[in-house]
Amino acid sequence: MGYFENIRESVRTIFEGMAITASHMVRKPYTVQYPDRIDVRVQDTLPFRYRGLLDVDLEICTGCLACERACPIDCIVIDAEKDKETREMVLKRFDIDLAKCMFCGLCSEPCPTGSIHHTPEFEGADYSLESMIRRFVKAPVVAYKPSKGPETNPEIAPILKRGLRYLDEFASPGGAS
Amino acid sequence: MSHAIDIDLHREGPGGLETEEMTLNMGPQHPSTHGVLRFVVKADGEVMRRAIPDIGYLHRSIEKIAEKVGYHGFMPYTDRVDYVSAMQCNQGWAMACEKLAGIEVPRRGEYCRVIASEFGRIASHLISVGATGMDMGAITPFTHAIREREYINDILEELCGARLTFNYMRIGGCAWDLPPGFAKRAIAYLDRFEPLIDEYDELISFNKIYVERLANVAPITPERAISWNLVGPNLRGSGVRYDVRRDVPYSAYPEFEFDVPVGTGERGTLGDCYDRYMVRMREIRQSCRILRQALEGIPAGPVVAKVPRTFKPAPGAVHVRVEASRGDMGWFAVSDGTAFPVRVHIRTGSYAAMAAIEELSKGLMIADLVAVIASLDIVAPEVDR
Amino acid sequence: MQQLADRLIDTGFLQGLPRGLGYVIVVALFAFLMLNFIMLVAGVTSWLERRVWARIQSRIGPNRVGPQGSIQWLADGIKNIMKEDIVPSAADAPLFRFAPYLAMMGFFGAFAVVPFGDGLIVADINIGVLYVSAVTALVVVGILMAGWSSNNKWALLGGIRSAAQIISYEIPAALAVLTVVLFTGTLSMQGIIRAQGWAPWNWFLFHNPFTFVAFFLFFVSALAEGNRTPFDLPEAESELVAGAFTEYSGLRSLLFFLVEWGNLYLIGAICTTLFLGGWQVPAFTDSGLVLGLAQVLTFFLKAYFLVFVAMWVRGTLPRVRVDQLMTLCWKYLVPIAFVNMILAAFFAAILPNGSIFVKAGMCVFGLGLAVHFFQRVLFHLRRAKPELHLSPIV
Repeated sequence: MGYFENIRESVRTIFEGMAITASHMVRKPYTVQYPDRIDVRVQDTLPFRYRGLLDVDLEICTGCLACERACPIDCIVIDAEKDKETREMVLKRFDIDLAKCMFCGLCSEPCPTGSIHHTPEFEGADYSLESMIRRFVKAPVVAYKPSKGPETNPEIAPILKRGLRYLDEFASPGGAS
Repeated sequence: MSHAIDIDLHREGPGGLETEEMTLNMGPQHPSTHGVLRFVVKADGEVMRRAIPDIGYLHRSIEKIAEKVGYHGFMPYTDRVDYVSAMQCNQGWAMACEKLAGIEVPRRGEYCRVIASEFGRIASHLISVGATGMDMGAITPFTHAIREREYINDILEELCGARLTFNYMRIGGCAWDLPPGFAKRAIAYLDRFEPLIDEYDELISFNKIYVERLANVAPITPERAISWNLVGPNLRGSGVRYDVRRDVPYSAYPEFEFDVPVGTGERGTLGDCYDRYMVRMREIRQSCRILRQALEGIPAGPVVAKVPRTFKPAPGAVHVRVEASRGDMGWFAVSDGTAFPVRVHIRTGSYAAMAAIEELSKGLMIADLVAVIASLDIVAPEVDR
Repeated sequence: MQQLADRLIDTGFLQGLPRGLGYVIVVALFAFLMLNFIMLVAGVTSWLERRVWARIQSRIGPNRVGPQGSIQWLADGIKNIMKEDIVPSAADAPLFRFAPYLAMMGFFGAFAVVPFGDGLIVADINIGVLYVSAVTALVVVGILMAGWSSNNKWALLGGIRSAAQIISYEIPAALAVLTVVLFTGTLSMQGIIRAQGWAPWNWFLFHNPFTFVAFFLFFVSALAEGNRTPFDLPEAESELVAGAFTEYSGLRSLLFFLVEWGNLYLIGAICTTLFLGGWQVPAFTDSGLVLGLAQVLTFFLKAYFLVFVAMWVRGTLPRVRVDQLMTLCWKYLVPIAFVNMILAAFFAAILPNGSIFVKAGMCVFGLGLAVHFFQRVLFHLRRAKPELHLSPIV
């Protein structure tokens, strides 16, 4: 390009660029001033599928250990054994190490009741590594046995409903859309 | 590690003055957004003689991990191979497993995969062009690009629950179907996004200073590009019209109409940094085109095929190609009939591009080195895996 | 200012002191006041720069510390002062320690001739503009010293680039200044301002096409001298972490940055003096105090508008490479500046008192440019269809 074309091109493109940035100066900024200057909690605006921190509804856990097998990073440790007298599964330990968890969702997919699921919570920062291990079993509990028809226990029914709703989000083979 | 660092001491410079070559270290910690890369630069003042890349700072043994976690469990690790455009990596691994076991993905699943991949491509190219602008010193295009990428992250968060490491695809299809109203929201986003690309272009792509920084810098002829194994926008910027989506078609791409932009040396030489940059800008527009077609024409049906929980494919080796944002990504998997692969290898575009830098950097200025790295769109996780 | 000193010594509260000592005290007092003012302006400029950039980048800048973040600069300053004072062991310690102060001296010395109002100037010497050019060259020595003594190859590169850049761009800047001086006949700052009027058509900007071009030449060269984008290669963040100032931490690095931001104000002040009519206001009141205040305010606002434009340019343009920088200076700016000055000399010879038609024509041209600019801004706004937010402080 010739000498004067260079000058003209520079002036023109710089002029244009300055006009664009000037137009940006009067636009609404995009920033969300988390956490204190916003109207709603961010957690409430997240979609239902959001893969935040893991939570286990022990009332509907069947002790099938599918999540422990599916986890690719071995962050779930479950101790479940069949009680010899009552022939029921007893859960002694259900630990999830959130420091290892990579929030992939592979554990919640095979769960038959939706007991282990991701929540929209994402604020898990803490000062100690110990607090990252979530121990969901305080005292040995009997695992849940899914009933043949709809669940009748009024305490467990809503939890199960939510769990199944979470599982419904996952696509299934042969499911129409 | 044999970097032959031959220091040319006491060279006779112009005018009879003795000069010495400087060895600089553009270290792993660097305020450039391409990740942990290291270059040992041997420079004569401002002009470089060689820039020797040093890699391995982000090596995480991902390929070895596959041998431990199995086929299903490896999917989240593929996100981390190139976290800037994670959807395409997911697709590559899923396709490799499906080819090993002979599984066919339902049509709607393929469409969902295309939608996710193209959104990932736009997001990745936005970071690339933004980072190129920032390395050149223009800080605002980067923030504008990140702003648009945030909207894409919101859309993909709606789709699969995560913003960076999606883990969206499974062997046999996708894990989640499109949520209700997704197509409407995505098309509304595209309607908003396309004028902003034009504005972005006018702000930076045609800016004289920017063009002067990128044009005629490190031109790569088509023959050299092919012989150096460059792929993706790096190859297309040199004029070679090769795109895996068109030449080795996979998934639902044969059903869509889109152009494959190539560089033409419009502002300088063929295959210079500006050509590669413009190829990426044009690819963003083509991705928008594919997205519109996919969102409007998506068929009904399941999105995932039936795959056993313990996946034991027949023994054999398979190699599939995916057009990732950085080019032709090759996924090689060897299975021996058990639930764990024997070997997984990922061939990424940035790895070859890193090797090309040493050749390209002869005679360039140090300021140009940054331009070259940015225009070759090198991301460290892809180089080191 | 000498009259003020004399008055204070004779009748003011410095009665009875020997004249020399009185002068020294007055000068020290004014230097102290000026230093405080400059540091305040530099600090606030740093905050404002971040807010302006942020709005250009669709985000909000610092807005937490103090109302709208207005004492963010104070927090940053205190943080820098409290940092550890690191001198690299292989660095040349005396030079390393002295370099920031040298840069500071070079920059601060120029403020002795910046006019704030009619009679409000520390020293109205008759070579005002030339003095400014000369003193700001000390900044080069400071930066080069910083780059060399750091014993860091990247810092050295940055220092050398900066030195080459600043001394190259002195020439178009000086030529642009000469173009204006052709019409005033004096180099003194107050003299240049008095040769203009308060109305835009009496400013040197619109006096004739040659001073119009000289304004842009001077502004671009001044940006280059201040190491601002698009010429901030010496402190290019993506390549050399902070260029010549990489090894500096704490108070020393704070001084370098204050020099940079204060330099912006100096550029604005010189441009205002030369081209935008300085502190001239219409005589709307008899009270000397109110008129003086209006003059100070006018000067400050005009200078600060140019500071704002410099920040705006930094947010828009990418960096120019070193060899392109030199090409721009020697192949484009210097020939244009020479030709401009010669044509201006012809103009001054033919029409020594200016011509109202030329002034009116230039005013209309300037207005046309501004209107075209607003049209482009509106075009971009309409195309992007964004939500508008007109408050500058969000």
